[in-house]
Amino acid sequence: MTDLLNLPWHEAKAQASGEELRAASLAAIDRLNPKLNAFLHVARNGGDGMPVAVKDNIVTTDMPTTCASRILGDFRSPFDATPVARLRANGCRIAGKTNLDEFAMGSSTEHSAFGPARNPWDPSRVPGGSSGGSAVAVAARMVPAALGSETGGSVRQPAALCGVVGLKPTYGRISRNGLVAFGSSVDQIGIITKTVRECADLLGMIAGHDPLDSTSAMNAVDDYTADLDAGVRGLRFGVVREAVAQLDGEVRANFDDALAVLRGGGAVIEEVSVPAIGYAIAIYYIIANAEASANLSRFDGIRYGHRSDRAKSLREVYFESRGEGFGDEVKRRIMLGTFALSSGYYDAYYGRAQAVRAKLRADFDAAFSRCDFLLTPTTPEPAFPIGAKTDDPLAMYLSDIFTAPANLVGIPAIAIPSGFSRDHLPLSLQIMSPHFAERALFRAANFFERETNYWREAPPA
Amino acid sequence: MKIDRDEAKRIADLAHLEFDDPALERMAGEMTKILSYIDQLREVDVGGFEWTAAAESTPLRDDVPRPPVDRAAVAANAPAFSDDGHFIVPKVIGD
Repeated sequence: MTDLLNLPWHEAKAQASGEELRAASLAAIDRLNPKLNAFLHVARNGGDGMPVAVKDNIVTTDMPTTCASRILGDFRSPFDATPVARLRANGCRIAGKTNLDEFAMGSSTEHSAFGPARNPWDPSRVPGGSSGGSAVAVAARMVPAALGSETGGSVRQPAALCGVVGLKPTYGRISRNGLVAFGSSVDQIGIITKTVRECADLLGMIAGHDPLDSTSAMNAVDDYTADLDAGVRGLRFGVVREAVAQLDGEVRANFDDALAVLRGGGAVIEEVSVPAIGYAIAIYYIIANAEASANLSRFDGIRYGHRSDRAKSLREVYFESRGEGFGDEVKRRIMLGTFALSSGYYDAYYGRAQAVRAKLRADFDAAFSRCDFLLTPTTPEPAFPIGAKTDDPLAMYLSDIFTAPANLVGIPAIAIPSGFSRDHLPLSLQIMSPHFAERALFRAANFFERETNYWREAPPA
Repeated sequence: MKIDRDEAKRIADLAHLEFDDPALERMAGEMTKILSYIDQLREVDVGGFEWTAAAESTPLRDDVPRPPVDRAAVAANAPAFSDDGHFIVPKVIGD
């Protein structure tokens, strides 16, 4: 039955009944999850539709939502997130809630209050993060698809490290109603699948304006599968000079191989400059954390979640509940964000970060005036060992060096498997496009997938 | 930018976070290291890219009533909730 789960969903569905596929998915979860810790909650029923795993910072009525934090306690949402409701309306089954770095703050899923998720290609290594559980669930063939969320690369980076497809759509393309807020000017829900086709299908189901999210875009939803087989002849791909200059070894060689594949299809490859791209992580850690410090003030021990037993006064309810409920990385980010917004530092940090962000956006606009897509590897290295970066927050942050720019600028970007390292760990190509050009992004990614077929190899069981 | 223990304590108070002394020392050191990386933003020429929050607008939907969130579901999530429909907190004024 596991072979069925190796197929793209539309092919699996043609070969087996929904009941058989649900049984196969549940059997895979029962067998693999004790080792990989991808799921925090598993749904045993709910119909025979396509099983979609949902990151546990996206609310659901039929399961808890923990954000992998102690501070949510036994919180149960009174409503479904809009993308979850749209999946259900399209006949999908919510298969369970997946592990993450607490409040989506991290790049390894090690900062989970419920223990780390593990990489199915090598369980001694991280799956990436923060949507690590979603990437593992898809890579290990437990489910065909999963939702994640991104603030600086939290869908694409774990998708890369686990060898699956990860899409961050344009800012505003998918409603965030029901996504627990982290950095509101950068947050976006994303999709993880084995294949580009499945990803395009899912985006078509959940994209579109939502009156309950005033930041969701009014733009019409595109036909995302229309150009999947149109190839790349004549399309212009820009290689981001400043990013590629930092590469060496096998990641560089793999990236060069990917360029050759695109060239072989008739694509035009040229070097372009995005001068401010190297500042993305510095900008990101001011803006995302400043916004997080405001967004996470709602966890106060009053209306839901954990309230400290030690609290005798209202002040103690706030300080003790938050002190006990939040993990170290979340506290570190709240502290950095609070600092950046505090009197005397606001202009020097938050204001400056926003100005450099505006410059970064202008750099991207200039680059896209010359080419249809921009290319980098998705990550600077393959999956690293568990524990390798937990004592060095800055080194962990730099895992997102190639992914964070798309969040800051608001453009869509896709991570697609591009081969394997010497240790047989997945490597990944990132393709970025202008705002709302997801249809073209899928076209380019599907060409690359069809030529390379790396997705067909499942991790060792 | 150097964050010392007193500055870390000031920020923790603003953020409503409680730390013991060793944790506060550690936090101050980590913040100093991260901010020294972020300080590279100072070298960028941002002429012509000044940012103001007022520049971006958000469209608002019409203000029409919609079904409220179910009160029983809200009460079930609250650490302490009264029968007459209020969140309960420790006494705020006097004894």
